[in-house]
Amino acid sequence: MTLLLLYLLALLDGVLCGLRTAMGRNARISKRWYYLRATVRGLVGAQIASTIALGALLLVALITPNSGALRMDLEESAGRMLRIFLPYAVLVLGSLSLRAIPSTDIRSASSVMFLGPLTAIRPLVMIAGVGYGIWGSRLWETRVLGLIILALMLSLEFALNRWMGRMQAKQIAKLIPIGAQSGKPVKP
Amino acid sequence: MPASWNPEQPEITDLIVRHDPRTLQREPVRKQEVVEIFQKFGNRQAVRAIQELPEWDGMLVDAGVDRMMLAVHWEMQRLAEEFYHGHRVWEIVGATVRALRMNGYLQKIRIVDVGCGIGYTPRWLASRISAQEQGLEFTGVDLYSTLIREATRLAEAERLNCKFSHGDAFSPQLAGNIVISTGVVHHFRGVELEEFLRRHEREETQAFFHFDFQPSLLAPVGSWFFHQLRMRTAIARHDGVLSAARAHTAKTLVEAARKGAPGFASGMYGTRIWNTPLPRVFHTLVGLRRPLVEEFRAQLGRRAGRLGELQ
Repeated sequence: MTLLLLYLLALLDGVLCGLRTAMGRNARISKRWYYLRATVRGLVGAQIASTIALGALLLVALITPNSGALRMDLEESAGRMLRIFLPYAVLVLGSLSLRAIPSTDIRSASSVMFLGPLTAIRPLVMIAGVGYGIWGSRLWETRVLGLIILALMLSLEFALNRWMGRMQAKQIAKLIPIGAQSGKPVKP
Repeated sequence: MPASWNPEQPEITDLIVRHDPRTLQREPVRKQEVVEIFQKFGNRQAVRAIQELPEWDGMLVDAGVDRMMLAVHWEMQRLAEEFYHGHRVWEIVGATVRALRMNGYLQKIRIVDVGCGIGYTPRWLASRISAQEQGLEFTGVDLYSTLIREATRLAEAERLNCKFSHGDAFSPQLAGNIVISTGVVHHFRGVELEEFLRRHEREETQAFFHFDFQPSLLAPVGSWFFHQLRMRTAIARHDGVLSAARAHTAKTLVEAARKGAPGFASGMYGTRIWNTPLPRVFHTLVGLRRPLVEEFRAQLGRRAGRLGELQ
């Protein structure tokens, strides 16, 4: 159950990473499909990261002499991680829900006062959550797996950002080929 | 205070794209000249950002600058979206349109966004408001042809009923009945600000609304934090914060408007959040033809409290 919750939180984080890395890279007014694609991209990214983490877990489970103890240690570590990640997720979702209130002031304030700062502390929350989770673990295998998960979580946004950056650069290059001429202006 | 927050210096984007003031044709820009301006202010952040721009034989490459500026403006649109800027503009422009109609103004009302960039505001208005039903025309004007081409492309891609022109927003062909701008007025300093406002004194112009950063002690710090988080290009991060530091006070704006455009009753709109002492990120310089003032206030409804003294 604990591991499943962590997995769901990872997917949620992936979705938000997908959205964040897509923002500011499309200047249309209506962007429903663009953001839907960004959400799927984030979800796929988080799923890939989760699959790698699962692969690492299975590999460790195969080589460890005491898989029962490892499972218990992992569950305990994941439980400790959730004590950090769950309140953070609740705060993020709570801030997002403020956008449902039909007030431009409250909606913009949710960005400035909550979503912005919460985005800024995301890497610290990741480090704190995983650090707290593996701090009390008894097995080195758990610590290694925790660090692998941390590296995957931190690199997800970086990778999506690079991907989107490359796509954006290609699109802009298409819009402004070298040697583009200026249009004829209306004189004062 | 970091050197990059010094309000005495221009913004990078003011210098890397230059136009002939008469013909509005693009002029070449020597990279070193721009670098030296910021070196005088000890602004290493700006120097680094300019150094990244492509050059050919010492001159900035137009296409390179254009590509970067497009990325910057796409990012800026994200901020406008996060701050629900379209809603804020329509809040007062809509009240003006209703006030004009109530006062018997039956002609088509042309709303011109001065220095529109990639035209977010006119495009947003065109996507939400039926220009045809309300007898409106949404237009945007900018001196920078690349941004106008992009605004036009975006409007066409979404079949939005708005037009964009490269040129002088106060020329007879392009002047509007309602003039708006966002983040533009702080680019005009001293007498230039007064001159900019003087140009609104045209018979057809009934109102103007200029949205810009509201200066406060916290504005540059808040702007820095927000731009670090939300912007990706070095120039956007630099200029965004400098804009907040260079923003005019309400007093400066109102004094310039009353001196430059005395045909309008002018004042500020939306300076405080919900009547608390907390300043809003943006405030708005308002100018209205005097016969419109009373009806405009009535059309604002419960938001009339946000409107300061108009004279």
